[in-house]
Amino acid sequence: MPDRRKQDDLSSDRDLVAQTAAGDRRAFESLVERHAAAVLRLATIVTDDPVSAEDALQQTFLSVYRNAASFRGDASVRTWLLSIARNAAYRLRTKHGQEQLMEEPLMTLGLEAGWGSDNPEALAIAAERRETLVRALQVLQPIDREVVILRDVEGLRGPEAAEVLGIGERALKSRLHRARLRLAAALRASSAGNPRDGEGARNDRT
Amino acid sequence: MIERDVGGLRCFEVLELLSEYVDGELDESTVEKVEGHLLGCPNCERFGQNFGSMLVALRKESEHGPKAGLDVMARLLQQLRRATTEP
Repeated sequence: MPDRRKQDDLSSDRDLVAQTAAGDRRAFESLVERHAAAVLRLATIVTDDPVSAEDALQQTFLSVYRNAASFRGDASVRTWLLSIARNAAYRLRTKHGQEQLMEEPLMTLGLEAGWGSDNPEALAIAAERRETLVRALQVLQPIDREVVILRDVEGLRGPEAAEVLGIGERALKSRLHRARLRLAAALRASSAGNPRDGEGARNDRT
Repeated sequence: MIERDVGGLRCFEVLELLSEYVDGELDESTVEKVEGHLLGCPNCERFGQNFGSMLVALRKESEHGPKAGLDVMARLLQQLRRATTEP
């Protein structure tokens, strides 16, 4: 008898969705196992709450199970899944902070990130320490954090990330660049021993 | 320093293009200009290197970052089985 688990590991995401649509529960569970970590990471960023993130995780895959037949295949399965996850997570958000990002001049963001400084190496050194990197990511507002996570951590291509976020590719590039510079600023502030761990990097310098 | 014109681009223009440069999204002639600037501008070159290192460190987060733990996965699969077998 062929090892079904091994066979599922080799199946493409699209095959697994098609098999799920045909009622194959094993294929569905393979899809869950393959993508649960990425869904949970995104849901955690959006909800900022582990319980809500787990609810979003469950809702995402329930939606996938129920709507597998309607997957049209013009997006990648991962893009489709993360779009569902983001919508579910936003519905479950309990912490609705101010989402409007300040549109600081790019030069200000660059200077805070270490552009033109005597010691830009502080940025790379801080990024190498996982704990510092995770803390700096947490300093970012969710709207910045999610674009960095989708593009730079999950490795989605620009058009895929734009689709998940529901924005155009030009807007995606601009948001991503600014978010990366804010992250760099938070890392530098963190490495400089700022007791607010970089929080001030967003607002203090003008 | 941040107003230097090297290789046909000013430092600020390189700052504007940096993400698109590291993501490989610029056309060939713009890439040549950016690289010409970086070769002649140690400040932008150093910042660009360190900015790139930050992105490499971020990518590693997908390997080391939070995973769906065994308990989360067990709960998830149990809930999904229950929900998808209900009439």
